[in-house]
Amino acid sequence: MRIIRIASVLFVLSVLSVLLVAGCGQKQQASGPSLPRPGGPTTLGGKQFVIGMSQCNLGEPWRVQMNADVKAAAAKHPQIKMIFKDAQNKTTVQQDQVKEFVNLGVDLIIISPKEARPLTRPVADAVAAGIPVIVLDRKVEGDKYTCFIGGDNVKIGEEAGKFMVKLLGGRGKIVELKGLMTSTPAVERHDGFMKGIEGSQIKIVFAVDCHWLEPDAQKEMASALSRFTEPGDIDAVYAHNDPSAHGAYIAAKNEGKGREKKIKFIGIDSLPHEGVRYVKEGLMTATFQYPTGGAEAIENALIILKGGSVMKNIVLGTRVFTRENAAKGGEAL
Amino acid sequence: MARLRRAIDFAGRFRGILAFVVVFLLGIFFAPVSYKTGHSTFLNWSTQNDILFEYAEYGILAAGMTLVIIAAGIDLSVGSVLGFAATLFSLLVIALGWSAPAAVVATVLAAALMGATSGVIIARFRMQPFVATLGMMLIARGAAKWISGGIKVQPGAREWYAVQSGNPAVFDWMTGSTRLLGLRPITMVFLVCIVVLWVLLRFTKFGRHLYAIGGNEEAARLSGIRVGAVKIAAYTLCGITAGLAGVCNASRVTLGDPGEAGLTYELDAIAAVVIGGTSLMGGKGGMFFTFLGTLIIAYISKILSLQGIEEAPRLMIRGALIVIAVLIQQSRKE
Repeated sequence: MRIIRIASVLFVLSVLSVLLVAGCGQKQQASGPSLPRPGGPTTLGGKQFVIGMSQCNLGEPWRVQMNADVKAAAAKHPQIKMIFKDAQNKTTVQQDQVKEFVNLGVDLIIISPKEARPLTRPVADAVAAGIPVIVLDRKVEGDKYTCFIGGDNVKIGEEAGKFMVKLLGGRGKIVELKGLMTSTPAVERHDGFMKGIEGSQIKIVFAVDCHWLEPDAQKEMASALSRFTEPGDIDAVYAHNDPSAHGAYIAAKNEGKGREKKIKFIGIDSLPHEGVRYVKEGLMTATFQYPTGGAEAIENALIILKGGSVMKNIVLGTRVFTRENAAKGGEAL
Repeated sequence: MARLRRAIDFAGRFRGILAFVVVFLLGIFFAPVSYKTGHSTFLNWSTQNDILFEYAEYGILAAGMTLVIIAAGIDLSVGSVLGFAATLFSLLVIALGWSAPAAVVATVLAAALMGATSGVIIARFRMQPFVATLGMMLIARGAAKWISGGIKVQPGAREWYAVQSGNPAVFDWMTGSTRLLGLRPITMVFLVCIVVLWVLLRFTKFGRHLYAIGGNEEAARLSGIRVGAVKIAAYTLCGITAGLAGVCNASRVTLGDPGEAGLTYELDAIAAVVIGGTSLMGGKGGMFFTFLGTLIIAYISKILSLQGIEEAPRLMIRGALIVIAVLIQQSRKE
C-alpha cells in the first residue's frame, strides 16, 4: 500500500514537471491566461511580431542549420519573437502545427514542409485566415502561399560539374555517389552535374545510390575501390552530399594504399561542421552550398509584416568552398 | 483500515479519470493564450475538436489493441497494418478509381485478414504474440511497399493512375466538418470504435471470455471456452481497427505513404492502453480506460505542442508518464 502512495507521489511529481516545463515556455510569452492581452503583442511597444516556424525534421543536420540561420537572423531584430516547432518527420504532426499557429494568432508562419501535397491545404487555410506563410526549401502545391524560398539543385549540380571539369583538366574517371534517387534533390543534382560535364572527357565509371547516408557511401566506395584497383582508375568522387563524400574518403583511407590523397572528393551542402570543416582539413577538395534560406526568410518576413510585397518565388544561389576561400566564407557563384 | 483500503482501491480504480481531470486542468492553465483574441487556445471547441481529430488514429488503434491486451496478448503489427491499409486504400481510390465504400470495405477486409493471420499463428501454433506480430509487422510493411512499388501513392504519381490531380472526394469528406458539433468523420470513426468495442467487451459473452483468457488461460480452457477461436477473433478485430485507422490516415495525409504511414504507431497505441490502466498481464482493464488513456496522451502532447516545447523534454515527459502509469498499475496487483 505504501508503494501506491509512493507511486501517487511520483505521478503528481511528473505532472508537476510537465507543469514546470510548460510554465517555462509560458514565461517568455510574458503572461498567463489570467492576464489576457487583448490585441496581442502587436500593440505592445510599437511593432512586435510573432513568427511561428514549423520545421519538418530536426533530426537532419542541414535542417538544424536552417533553424539556426532563422534564429540568428531573427535575433538581429528585437521586434521579432520566434516560436519553433519540430514535426519530427511526421506529416500529420506538421499539419497540426500549422493549425496551432493559426489558432495562436501568430503574425506570420514559416514552414519547411515535409511533403508538398498534405501540407498544401493547411498552408492555404492559414493564408485564408489572413496569416502570411513563407515556404522554405520544399514547395507546396498550387499558389496559395505568400512566398517560396529555395535553392536550385540543378544549378548546384551544374556548378559542381563545371568545377570538376576544371579540376581534372577536362579528362578523368570519376565515381558518383548519389543521394536517394527516389527524391527530387538527388535526381536534380545528378542531372545538373551531367549538364556541367557535358562535352568534356570525364567518364563516370561507377555510380550508385547511397541514400544520403555516410555508412552506405563508405560501403559503396569500398566496392568501387576494389573494382578499380590501379592508382589512375579513379581520379575523383562526386557525392550528392558531404557526408557521402566523407564516407568515400574514409573508405579510401581504410584501403591503406594512400589513394585518399590522390582522389579528389567533391560534395554538396556545405554545413559549417560537415563539408566546410572537411574542406578546411583538406579531406575534401570542394563543397557546394545548398542554402537553407533561413536568413532570407526573416528578411522577407519583415518586408511582408511591414506591409510590403515580396517576390512569390525566390531562388537562392550557391557558394563554393575550397581550401583557399573557406576561411573567408566561400565564394558566391 | 478496511475502509482506508477501500478508499485507496476506489482512487486506484478511478485514477484514469483523476489523471484525465488533472491533465485537462493543466491544459486550461498552461496552454498559451491567443495573440489575437486573448483567450486560451486550449479551452475552445475548435481546439478540442482538433485534438479528437488529430489523435483519432491512435485512439482507433488503441481500441483494437485493448481487446488483445485484455486477453494477455499484444499486437505489434498494427502500425504496419495501418500503413498497408493507407497504401491500399489510396491505391484503390487514386490509382484504380474505386468508389469510396467499396475501397473502405476491401481495405478493412485485407487488414482483418492480416489480423486473423496473426491470430491463427498465435492460437493454433502456440506462438508468442510478441514474435508472431513482430513478423506480421514486417510482412505488412513489406506488403505496403510491394503493392505501391515503393513510391507514395498520390494523384499523378504514375501515368496510369485514374486520378491525376486534385484530392479524391472521400479524402476531403473524411477530414471536413459535419453538422454534428463540427465533428469530423475521422473523429466519429474513433468514437464509434470505442463505443462498439466497449459494448462488445462489457455486454457480450465474447467480452467475458476475453477477460477469462487474460486472467487464466488454462482455467478458461478447462471451463469450456474456445480459447483459440476467441483469440483469433480478438486479433481479427484488432486488424479491422488498424484497417479503419489506415483509411483515416490516407484521408488525412491525402496520400498513401508505404514507408512512413503508421511508423511506430503501435507503441503509441500500447501506451494509450497502458496509461488508461489496462494491465499488460491481461484480464484487467476496459475500453473506457483506453478512451481516457488516449485523451490523456493527446492532451499532454497538445499542451507541449502548443507551448512549442522541444522534442527532448517531450520524449522524456511522455516516457515518464508511461513508466509511472505502469508503476501504479503494478502496485494495485498486490
